[in-house]
Amino acid sequence: MKKFKSIASTALVAAGLGLSGPGANAADVSFMSFSYAEEAAKPSVEALLKGFEAQTKLTVEPLGYAWGDMQKNIFLRARSKTLPSVAQLSERWLPSFANVAGLVDLNEVYGKDKLASMFTPDALAMGQIGSKQYALPLISGSIGLIANKAVLDKAGLTKTPTTIEEFRSALVAVRDKVPNSVPYTMATKNNGSILLDFMIWTWTFGGEIIDEQGKVKIGNGDAGKQALGFMVGLMKDRLAAPEIDRPDARRLVAQNASAFFFDAPQARTHLRSFSGQGPAFDANVLPLATPVAVAGKEPASIQWGHLLVQFSADGKAKADAPASQFISYLTSDVAQATFPLEQSALPVTKSARANPKVTGDAFLTAWAKAAGNPRRNEVGIWPNAAELTQIIGEEVQGALLGQKSADDAIQAMQKRLETSMANVNKQN
Amino acid sequence: MSLVAEITSAPAPAKVSPHAVRGGLKAGQRRIGMLLLTPAAIAFGLVILYPFLQALALSLFEYTLETPAPRFYGLGNFAKIATTPDVWQAFVTTAIYVFFTTTGTLILGLGWALILNQPFRGRGLLRSMSLLPWVLPSTVSAFIWGWIFNSRYGVLNAFLLELGFIDMPQAWLSTSTGAMVAVIVTKIWLSIPLFMAFFLAGLQNMDREQVDAARVDGANNWAILRDHVLPHLRPVLIVVVVLGVIGNLQQFDTIYALTGGGPVRATAVLSVEVYRRAFEQWDVGFASAIGVLWVATLLPPAFLYLRMLVKGA
Repeated sequence: MKKFKSIASTALVAAGLGLSGPGANAADVSFMSFSYAEEAAKPSVEALLKGFEAQTKLTVEPLGYAWGDMQKNIFLRARSKTLPSVAQLSERWLPSFANVAGLVDLNEVYGKDKLASMFTPDALAMGQIGSKQYALPLISGSIGLIANKAVLDKAGLTKTPTTIEEFRSALVAVRDKVPNSVPYTMATKNNGSILLDFMIWTWTFGGEIIDEQGKVKIGNGDAGKQALGFMVGLMKDRLAAPEIDRPDARRLVAQNASAFFFDAPQARTHLRSFSGQGPAFDANVLPLATPVAVAGKEPASIQWGHLLVQFSADGKAKADAPASQFISYLTSDVAQATFPLEQSALPVTKSARANPKVTGDAFLTAWAKAAGNPRRNEVGIWPNAAELTQIIGEEVQGALLGQKSADDAIQAMQKRLETSMANVNKQN
Repeated sequence: MSLVAEITSAPAPAKVSPHAVRGGLKAGQRRIGMLLLTPAAIAFGLVILYPFLQALALSLFEYTLETPAPRFYGLGNFAKIATTPDVWQAFVTTAIYVFFTTTGTLILGLGWALILNQPFRGRGLLRSMSLLPWVLPSTVSAFIWGWIFNSRYGVLNAFLLELGFIDMPQAWLSTSTGAMVAVIVTKIWLSIPLFMAFFLAGLQNMDREQVDAARVDGANNWAILRDHVLPHLRPVLIVVVVLGVIGNLQQFDTIYALTGGGPVRATAVLSVEVYRRAFEQWDVGFASAIGVLWVATLLPPAFLYLRMLVKGA
C-alpha cells in the first residue's frame, strides 16, 4: 500500500508539473487562423507574428485550422470555454458568432469614431451587426470572375465577354479548341461554393434569394429559374463539369485547363503557387466584370473579406490588452502595407489603400474596376446560414446532375428556405 | 462413535496464516480484479458513458446557435424528426449501405479466406499483403478510392476508356448510384482483411480428414462448402455478421472523406446526418435526438453479440 501511495504521489506530482508547464509558458495571445493553415499564406502570417513580437515583446501562439474546419472549431472551443484571444473569420460567418459569449464589441475597445476615421466604410461595415462592431477587417475585396488569358488566346478569343451570350460563345470556343479543358469551372460539388456561383447568376438575371427583411424571393418571378436553367445548360453542353469545388477550379486554371471561374482576388496568390510559375503566371490572370444579361446593367459580384474577432471571458477588453494590441498591429500601416498585397487583396485602412504599392498594383486596380461594387452575401448574413447554404446547394446540385428540372428545384428551394427562415423570423 | 459424530467433534483445522480471513483468497482475487478493471471502467465512463448520457439529455433540449444555453424542449426534437423526411431518408440510406457492405464483405472475405487456406507457394506473403487495407488509415483509403473514381484523373475511367467500354470519362461520384457504389466498394475493400482473418482462423480449426472423407465419398467443392465448411464456420459467421453490421452502422470517415454525404443526399447515412446537424447547422439538440435513434438501431445487433459472448464464456 505504501508503495502504491508513493507511486501515486509521484504520478500526481509529475502530472502537476506537466499541466503547469504549458501554463507557465503560455503565449500572451492565441490566434486562430485559417490563413496560417494555408501553404500559400503561412509565410505571410508568420512574418506578421514576428513583426508583432519584435515590436511589443508579446508572444503569439498561432492555431492553424483549415478554412472548412474553422467555424466548427471556434464553436467547439466556445462550448468548452477554451476560445482563443483572437480569431480570423470569413466575413459571411460573423452573424453566426453574434451569440457567442465573450465576443468583444470593438467599438468599446477602440472607440467608434477612431475606427471610422481609420478604416474604409465598406471594409468596416463587414464587421458590424446592428450598432456593434464585432469584428475588424483584415483584408477585403469581392468575389468576381477571373479569366485565364493563355486559355483565351488558345481558343482564339481576342475580346473578353461582357454579356451572357458572349460568355456562352466564349465557353463553346474554349471547349472546341482547348482539348481536355473545363471551359468554366463552375462550383458543382461543395454547397458553400455552389451558393456563390448561384447567387452571382441569380443577381445577373435580376433576381434575389432572400431580401433584407428575411423574405425568401428566389421562387418569385423567373430570375431564379433562368439562372439555374442557364447553369444546367452549361453542364449539359459540357461547358462546365461535375465534381468541381473552388480548389479544383484554382488548380485547373493554374494548369491552363480552364478559362473562367469565380473567386476572390486572393486567387492570384493561389494561381501563382499552383502553376509553379510564381509571379510569372500573373500575366494570365485577368479580373473580369461578370457578364450581364442586358448591356449596361451592373455586373454582379459578392462582398468578400477576412475579419478579426476578439474574445475575452466577460466580453470586454481594454485597448492595452495583449489581444487588442495584436489586432491593432494587424490593422496598422506596417501590416496593411504588406499582408493584403501578399494575399492579392485590398488593405482595409484608408491610409493603406492610398499607399502607392496598392494604387500601383495593376491586378488590384483591374479588380476594383471589374468587381468594385460588390453586394452583401444575402444568405451568409443570417444565423441559419449553414442550413440555407445546404438547401440551396442541394437543390442546385440536384438540377445540375439532372435529378430534377430547374423549375422544380427552384420551387423546392423556395419552400425549404421559407421553412428555415420562418424559424429565424419567429425568433427575431 | 459414529463416523458423523467423529467428524463433527474433530477439532477445527488450524488457520494457514494468522492473517488469513474467511474467504480470503477469493476476496483478494476479487479486489485485484476490481483494481485491474478500474482504469478501463474510468476510461469507459469518461469517453463513452458520460458523452452518451449527455447526448441523451441534450436530445430533450433545444440547443442551437440562437440558444447559447440549452433550453428544455421535451420530446420536441423527436417530433421534429417525425416530420423531417431527410432524416427518414438517412435511415433508408443507412440500411442500403449496411446491407450491401456487410453482404459484400462477407462473401468476398469468405472467398478470399478459402483461397488463402489452400496450400500454395507464396501463401504467407499473400496473407500478409491481404492485411494492407486494414493497416491503412481509413481516410487514406477513402482518398485513394476518391482518386480511382475521379472523373478527370481517375484510374477507373482510364481503364474503361482503354478497354473501349466508355467513350468519355464518367463522373462516378456525381450520380446517386455511382456514389453509393463507391462508398460500398471502399468499405468492402477496407473490411475484407478483418473478415478474412476471422474465417481463416475458423478454417484452420477445421478437421481436414472430414473434408478428405467427403471427397472420397464423391462430394464436389460446392457440397463440401455447403455441408461441411459453412456449418463448421457458423459461430464465426454469426459473430462476423453482427460485428460487420455494428461497424457499418457506425461508419462515418470513409463516407465523409469520399463523398461528404453527396451528391445531394445520396450517401448521407445517419452518421453523416448527425455530423451535419451538429457541426454544420449547430442544431445540437436535434442531432442528439437523431443520435439516440441511431443508437437504438445499434442495440439489437449489440445485444445479440453480447449474448453470444456471455453464452460462449
